[in-house]
Amino acid sequence: MILINCPYCGERDQSEFSNGGEAHVARPENSENLNDKDWGRYVFYRDNPKGIFYERWVHTHGCRKWFNAVRNTSTDEILKIYKLDENPPSKESFTNTLKTPSGEPKVGSGNFTVKK
Amino acid sequence: MSAADNKKSHYINAKEISFKFDGKKYLGYKGDTIASALLRNNVRLVARSFKYHRPRGLYTCGIEEPNGIVQILNEHNEPNTRATVKQIYEGIRVNSQNRWPSLNLDVGSINNLLSPMFSAGFYYKTFMGPKGFWKKIYEPVIRRTAGLGKPPKEFRSKSVHQNHNVDIVIVGGGLSGLIAARKLIDTEYDVLLLEQDSFLGGILKNSNKIKKINNIDVNKWIKETEKLLKASKNIKIFKNSLVTSYNFTNHLIALEDKCAGKEINKDKSELTLHKIRTTHTILANGHIERFISFRNNDLPGVMLASSFEKYIHRYGVVPETSPVIFTNNSTTATLLKSLIDLGHKPAAYVDARDKDKIGKKLLDYLKKSNIPFYINSEVEGCDGSKKIKTISIRKNKNKIIKVKSSMLCVSGGINPDIHLFTQSKGLVKWDDKLVTFKPDVPFQNTITLGSVSGNYNYEKTIDEIDQKLSFLKAKNIRFNLELNDSNNFNIQELWETKHEKKSNWSKSFIDLHNDVTTKDLKQAVKEGFDRIEHLKRFTTNSMGTDQGKISSINSLGIVSKILKKKISEVGTTTYRPPYAPLSFSAIAGRNTYEFYDPQRKTPIHYWHIENKAVFEDVGQWKRPWYFKKFETESMHLAVQRESAQTRKTAGILDGSTLGKIEVKGKDALEFMNLMYTNAFTKMKPMTSRYALMLGEDGMIKDDGIVCKFNDKHFIATTTSGGAPKVLADMEEYLQTEWPHLQVFVNSITEQFSTFNISGPKSREIVSKVFTDVDFSNENFPFMTFKVFDYKDTEVRIMRASFTGELGYEIYITPNHALELWKKIFHYGKAYDLVPYGTETMHLLRAEKGYVVIGQETDGTVTPIDLNFNWMIGKKKKDFIGKRSLTRSDTSREDRKQLVGIIPLDKSEFIEEGQHVVECERLPKPIKTPVEYLGHVSSSYHSPNLNHCIAMAMLKGGNKLMGRKLFVSSTYGNKNIPVEVVSPVFIDPENKRLVS
Repeated sequence: MILINCPYCGERDQSEFSNGGEAHVARPENSENLNDKDWGRYVFYRDNPKGIFYERWVHTHGCRKWFNAVRNTSTDEILKIYKLDENPPSKESFTNTLKTPSGEPKVGSGNFTVKK
Repeated sequence: MSAADNKKSHYINAKEISFKFDGKKYLGYKGDTIASALLRNNVRLVARSFKYHRPRGLYTCGIEEPNGIVQILNEHNEPNTRATVKQIYEGIRVNSQNRWPSLNLDVGSINNLLSPMFSAGFYYKTFMGPKGFWKKIYEPVIRRTAGLGKPPKEFRSKSVHQNHNVDIVIVGGGLSGLIAARKLIDTEYDVLLLEQDSFLGGILKNSNKIKKINNIDVNKWIKETEKLLKASKNIKIFKNSLVTSYNFTNHLIALEDKCAGKEINKDKSELTLHKIRTTHTILANGHIERFISFRNNDLPGVMLASSFEKYIHRYGVVPETSPVIFTNNSTTATLLKSLIDLGHKPAAYVDARDKDKIGKKLLDYLKKSNIPFYINSEVEGCDGSKKIKTISIRKNKNKIIKVKSSMLCVSGGINPDIHLFTQSKGLVKWDDKLVTFKPDVPFQNTITLGSVSGNYNYEKTIDEIDQKLSFLKAKNIRFNLELNDSNNFNIQELWETKHEKKSNWSKSFIDLHNDVTTKDLKQAVKEGFDRIEHLKRFTTNSMGTDQGKISSINSLGIVSKILKKKISEVGTTTYRPPYAPLSFSAIAGRNTYEFYDPQRKTPIHYWHIENKAVFEDVGQWKRPWYFKKFETESMHLAVQRESAQTRKTAGILDGSTLGKIEVKGKDALEFMNLMYTNAFTKMKPMTSRYALMLGEDGMIKDDGIVCKFNDKHFIATTTSGGAPKVLADMEEYLQTEWPHLQVFVNSITEQFSTFNISGPKSREIVSKVFTDVDFSNENFPFMTFKVFDYKDTEVRIMRASFTGELGYEIYITPNHALELWKKIFHYGKAYDLVPYGTETMHLLRAEKGYVVIGQETDGTVTPIDLNFNWMIGKKKKDFIGKRSLTRSDTSREDRKQLVGIIPLDKSEFIEEGQHVVECERLPKPIKTPVEYLGHVSSSYHSPNLNHCIAMAMLKGGNKLMGRKLFVSSTYGNKNIPVEVVSPVFIDPENKRLVS
């Protein structure tokens, strides 16, 4: 269980929060002009990368506020938390700090325990 | 040739305690574990093995025990308790497990004779067919014969959870843990010291390897340390606390047994689950010895050498005065010396190493003490039926000689206990010199100290601690050790010795807990399971509750030999929490029974109880399901009575559980137009409307009635279970998509009680209750509402209908609710007003063709599928899900659509969930799939029509009106012929609604 630093309440246990999936997916304004494929992309498709991921969280059992976070999905390390109206930090600002549990491949299992 | 007391131990003066094992009474000392007490009484046979039911004895002295697993009868029949951990107390009753009729004579041991059948992957290969055999025959039989203890019968959890936020956690109160803790006394850090045993000291108590620390006798030093730690303001000690998981962000879970060595007190909690957040974790959790596989290495009497040593020093019992010692390293030297110092004479000392590796000092000692010793030799196997009788030694690696002894102490080396370290995602590395894996790169703020870090040299431990804690503001205290024995490990790799005999009885085990032999490993590799994770699952090696603590590295060694690879290339399996089994009651804590989930009750709840309501759980709510008129009335009769009476005169439903959300603000109208499919702009103030909420995929999520006070103020009702989700969705859209809208949404579910009165006489009843209000059709038309004063509060009454009858929905503050409810009954009595529950509500709704969200809909149903086109505000530019209603998939004509169905033979009953098909009988045999048209979503016997009515979701249902179809059934041997009709069975012209 990870710790999440709610920008309104401070550090709390993960169990107080709900994950809202990928961040910065805006609801299309003129949906009637979109074809099925483009609309379907908004409704059904979300990214699921290994590594840096911009995602949404809500402090469900707290202030009920939504906010954004940048998380390293291979380590669950939260690299940055920012409010909805703040600009997202650039991806480059994190690449140097990235570590993985075992320096494992970019895709696949994280179950490597022996140092190669 | 039997057990003896260690006369030098303080234990001998402890209080005597009597306990029962398999019904027989024994005596032990206070502080004894079940294991040490049994050894004291020369009990060697304590269990039968998992698969072959072979006789087994105690193998270890701690949490790693694979054999000695017992059931505690007087503690709510607690199964799978480790005899090597559980302390005895006066009157404890212990039984062995997995045997019938008794431990000595076990019928299941026939499995041992049949064992050629039970090789690796036996279950996967054998129980393949015929169809149906698994569930009825194989599984029950296997469950009875294989397995561990019996589950506890009735038992209420007595455990609590406790949270800690600290700076440093020290796992393990042994030599390194205690020294680290002493260096942190009265520093700025909050420190927790967690020790799994009931005493501090670890290796200091387990052996006499270390004599003195800073010139103080170790036992005195431990006492002094404990006193200092307890006196300090910043350090807390938890004994009997086993760390079971080490998660991300330095989150640890430890289980504290508060009744160690005591009978459980039924009024107090027996377990505490500590949930710990820390900045730094110091792992000082030591090492675990491993064994060596040889023929019959599971016979009662084989024991790990260090465990034998622990029994001598910790519990003051010498399990056997003349055992054979078999080793491939130097850790056994102190065991040898301890025995000789106590005046006992080991039967033989067998060392797999050569002269150089053993060292001159030990060789000289062996010669001097006149003990038969064999170097460059190994134990080939041992023989005996329920305990060891003879031990075969392969002298100088060629000639077999036999030695008589009833116990064999074996040491195959020691492994740092890397379990927690790897759980925390730290990386381990193979060490050729130590022949084991040791921690390498930590992933979190983790420090390993002492033997867990692969440092087996006690003198160097002091420097290691100084160096690794140097980044902390720790105290600079120096500790000097005085050792009993020279401190080199000098291990020589040895995993298994060669067999001489070959018979079914002769097995060499790699996993004692799950009965996996070294032969199984070889066979599995041969069959292609050469990846260690696959091999583990195929053979069940190290999958027992001990998780292969004494054997998993051995299996890697053996597999690496077969594969001709390095062990570091074979790799380890993944270490997962928990470190040791913990009971579900510990995890559940107090969240059991009525505390599992909050129960929500309406203000009328106790009236319902008085009036014989049977309750149904709807979300967290307790709702009346139906009311029994008399004690023996069945649900069917009650529901028929309630529904008929409601349509005849009037019925009332406690609808207080309905979700209510208040929407207020400058932009409330725009917001509501976006959230719901309906158009609210032209809706007049003080009117209401049935409304639908969709997901962005166009599927129905929730429904309810929306009341419009004005453009800036709405109240929406939701389904009873859906209220939290609807509110959360509204909040989400307001915060993330439309932050420019000035709207507040607020749950007012519990601020208003709701009664739903309906039936032809409902107007007369409400007119008598609220005498000031004009309820006439002209003044109070359908789908309007009024707010007026009632006593010192306000009442809102809406003319709406759940049932298709004339009806009113009354909203009142909860403190007036019960009084008003009773008042309605006071006036309703003359009209035979009947209270009804959710089942009648569903029946009445079904008669009128009103769908129930979650019954007709399942997240794949659009409003068009339900013929709700009239509810869609097509002229609105946007609302949630609008675009999806014209997706190619949602606009298909052959989607499942809502229809009504009635049986052609009116006496027949259609069951909910059955399939609707076109054929009367299924072809036999079925050669091509029978086309499935849809399913029955709800079905009731209508008392008002006196036959079954049902709703179904059928493919292209709108085009099937009037068609004859068939519905499968669980009774009879043919399908029921039905007719597809409109889902509105009663009053299709809505005359009753607007009357």
